[in-house]
Amino acid sequence: MKTIRFLLLLLCLCWGVVNAQELKLKVSEKPITMKIGQSVQLDAVVVDDQVNRVEDREYLFFSRDRRALSVIDTTGLATAIKHGEYSIVVISPNKDKGRLRADIQVIIEPEAIAKVEIDEVPGEIYAGVTIPLSVKVIDEANFERPEVDVNISSSNTKVVSVAPFKKLIANSAGNSTITVEAGGVATKIDLKIVENPIVKIELVPDMTEGRSGDVFTLEARALDKKGKVIENAPINYSFTGESYDVSAAPSGLMTLEGKFVADEPGLYVLHATCGSAAASVTVSANERNITRKIDLIGRGSINTKHTSDLWIWEGVDGKDYAVTGTWGADGKAYFWDVSDPASITLIDSVQVDARTVNDVKISEDGKICVISREGASNRKNGLVIIDVTNPRDVAIISEFSQNLTGGVHNVFIYKNHVYALSAGRKYYSVNIEDPANPKIVGEFELDTPGHAIHDVWVEDGIAYSSNWDDGVQLVDVGNGIAGGSPSNPVQFASYAYPSGSNHAAFPYRDEKTGKFYVILGDEEFPYGLDPGGKKPSRAAGFLHIIDFTDLKNPKEVAWFQVPFAGSHNFWIEDDILYAAFYNAGVRVIDISGELLGDLNRQGREIAWIVPEDPDGYVPNAPFTWGAQPHKGHIFYSDWNSGLWSAKLRPVVPENAAVESR
Amino acid sequence: MKRILLVCFVLIGELVAAQNYYVYVTAESEDEVSLIKFDGKEATIEETITVGVWPAEIEGPHGINVSPDGKYWYLSLAHGNPYGTLYKYSTETNEVVGKVELGLFPASLQVSEATGLLYCVNFDLHGDMVPSTVSVVDPEDMIEIQRIETGVMPHGSRISPDGLFHYSVGMMSGELFEINTTRLKVSRVLQLDGKKEESAKATMAGMDHSQMDHSQMEHGKMDHSKMGHDQMYHSTVKPTWVIPHPTNNKVYVAGNGSDEILEVDLDKWEITNRMPTGKAPYNVDISPDGRYMLATYKASAETGVWDLKKGDELARVKNSRKVSHGVTISSDSKYAFVSVEGIGGEPGTVDVIDIKKATKVASVDMGKQAGGIIFWKQE
Repeated sequence: MKTIRFLLLLLCLCWGVVNAQELKLKVSEKPITMKIGQSVQLDAVVVDDQVNRVEDREYLFFSRDRRALSVIDTTGLATAIKHGEYSIVVISPNKDKGRLRADIQVIIEPEAIAKVEIDEVPGEIYAGVTIPLSVKVIDEANFERPEVDVNISSSNTKVVSVAPFKKLIANSAGNSTITVEAGGVATKIDLKIVENPIVKIELVPDMTEGRSGDVFTLEARALDKKGKVIENAPINYSFTGESYDVSAAPSGLMTLEGKFVADEPGLYVLHATCGSAAASVTVSANERNITRKIDLIGRGSINTKHTSDLWIWEGVDGKDYAVTGTWGADGKAYFWDVSDPASITLIDSVQVDARTVNDVKISEDGKICVISREGASNRKNGLVIIDVTNPRDVAIISEFSQNLTGGVHNVFIYKNHVYALSAGRKYYSVNIEDPANPKIVGEFELDTPGHAIHDVWVEDGIAYSSNWDDGVQLVDVGNGIAGGSPSNPVQFASYAYPSGSNHAAFPYRDEKTGKFYVILGDEEFPYGLDPGGKKPSRAAGFLHIIDFTDLKNPKEVAWFQVPFAGSHNFWIEDDILYAAFYNAGVRVIDISGELLGDLNRQGREIAWIVPEDPDGYVPNAPFTWGAQPHKGHIFYSDWNSGLWSAKLRPVVPENAAVESR
Repeated sequence: MKRILLVCFVLIGELVAAQNYYVYVTAESEDEVSLIKFDGKEATIEETITVGVWPAEIEGPHGINVSPDGKYWYLSLAHGNPYGTLYKYSTETNEVVGKVELGLFPASLQVSEATGLLYCVNFDLHGDMVPSTVSVVDPEDMIEIQRIETGVMPHGSRISPDGLFHYSVGMMSGELFEINTTRLKVSRVLQLDGKKEESAKATMAGMDHSQMDHSQMEHGKMDHSKMGHDQMYHSTVKPTWVIPHPTNNKVYVAGNGSDEILEVDLDKWEITNRMPTGKAPYNVDISPDGRYMLATYKASAETGVWDLKKGDELARVKNSRKVSHGVTISSDSKYAFVSVEGIGGEPGTVDVIDIKKATKVASVDMGKQAGGIIFWKQE
């Protein structure tokens, strides 16, 4: 008896036991160790009270991480793919109801380190220079192994010494072999350090006095003792400074290329160094001083439902009109007379079979309006084309849902074509020369895994689509830059950023600098929703300014952020960016000149206005959707309160106060 | 004394008879789920739960179900960027306790009594006419463990009472799929249109799109007008729902396109009856006692009440508004709860039908486009 008990105890120790009534599912209690590429037959068995195997049981095995450890569902044949600790679940359904379930732990041993890769370093390095080393450790299974300790040593520390964070310091002329070792595998590189020929740096800024937010471009010339210019000298740029405001710390940004921008007004010393050679220049970044008063002018209240996008246009009669959409409501779009921005008047509306009219657009000639549909009762959403020749009596011309049944979230009209998003996956170009008979002539869709799209904007024959993870896509739909047309859209440039939040895009060419920027807006809601749906929402995300001057090498150079708020739709006119920032209302931003760094901290915000409405659909919950400048006024739509207008006060000349004395 | 006993008897009888019924209902165009209580006379909203994470985007709560032990409810949100998400909520708190991203437009879902795993169809409602999948999720860890390819636009799905087989229908391919829930494989396929259609369907069946290198294709240069998309297979039956009978080893399929309910004998694996219905039957449920079948008729805004023993439609109950959607039956087989979408800005509605009387006895308005609906408990 003791022997039986002992055996049972031993069995229990060796096998994990999961109880379900009188039956037990036995699996290995100890972790199973595997090698990468190895397959192991996992065991699981259902036993009764007497530890007898119960026949006719089915077993289902699955891995909690099938990319690292795969398992065949019914046989339990597991194959190790990547090192780490994993678990496999086994389920055996009961004959009646319920099931037995257990976990099997698996350890996949890492492979030995196969190689240590070092990124290329210059053939000759000047003494006095610090060199960053980029190292990758790869194992026999071809997995990168960042967790493995790396040891770096120098054969001649008088020539090259090793500093923390994989930095090498070139001390003096000579040769040194650098050994990088990880997991018993070493790679060596030979470094040749030469005397630094640079004895002098001439440093010239393009200006010595500017404003916060202005970019100071440094030109540094490295000279040898004969005064000869040394090309491609490895010059490091840095800055120090003091703020003009004693309560503020000096701050700014210096690029590797020697461009400096100050956030805080102050006196800044800009440095250029190469070994022992150094030069400095002092520049003054004065107050940007571009803030202006903004006045609320008028509004057209919608407080019984959510309002979505807006479009303002000059009608064929020369008067000014607006159209606004509605969201999560009854499928209406509203038409307004905004000729007098202080007296916005509702003049007509249309209702379509939809719950959301997310987007509204007007053709260049002011005669055609296109609205998007989502939430149609027959699930055939599409778009609706409306004659707005007389905005006081608009008339639906046609409805179009071919290939657009999944819902149209955004549209754009450009030269007799509507660019319409379809189910958040692609956009179609729809010819509306005959608006009663729209016709699909082309489409654009990415091929990336899990691609999605949120918006498209067309200017000068280039479609700028915002594709979330895939960033902005520049597509020729008639510009000619890549031979594209509406029926043959051709992508020719793109830029994506890590957050994957690209929601809107707007192009901007700065005539003075020749720079071509595309401004990309995020849409993020990391703070969650009010479970009751009655409280204000709070967004996040910001505007990314991408320098597309070199189309093949776009570069993110600047950003505009409003703390605890998030960007939505925006517009640019005359070097001014008008951006809706949801809970932070409309932000008016000076984007003149070269753009670099944190535009908000640089004092580039001209003005802001927040549409607060105690009688709003959600009271006192500004949630601004879009903003558009029109004939000197700013019109903006708010999710909870409708259409608004505001006006910036004129720029006051700096000497105005003196003159008035 | 007799009086007191009589009063006590009546009171106890009242207490025993008094029942509250609870159902969860999605509002697809409101991003809400409502917990509806019906006390035998009145239906009221017990709680409204806002779902999703994007206040300015409709995420479309579509499929909903309760775990067999009643402790959790599961919800599919159809829209994402681009994939939809499955959420797990506690029935005790109605708070999220887990989530996992699935495929395109995840829709109907259910947890198997046998495996404990959750099976959710990826409807891919607005995608290309290519086969989609059923996602298999471990609801304990909320991880997707497998995707099983089925038909084009798999919509309605339910699991056999023993939990061993999952049934779903491909709305556009017109097929009924049986998945072995333990082996995670399609075990049988039945073409519901009654004939093998030629055209693109046959060709597409052999394609493995996952193996194709779409990056080498220049979609922009393709002439879609010559691709014959209009030649693609569209089922005439257009099945939108399937429900297994609790005891007779048959499943019943809503033929949304052919205005009929198809009875499929699982032993024979063939259609054994086609029952004409109202216009566009959409969702179907069978009473736990196996006697009644209720089917929503989407286009005629009615709910059909069927006696399955006789095979007769007893009545058509007019729903409160247009676009009838889902139906779920109480565990005592007395009441059916029907979600009605409405149109545009109309609210959604839940109608309560007394099954034996085949009459609507209560209704309550809720968020827009009431859709997925599931009975939770009676107490």
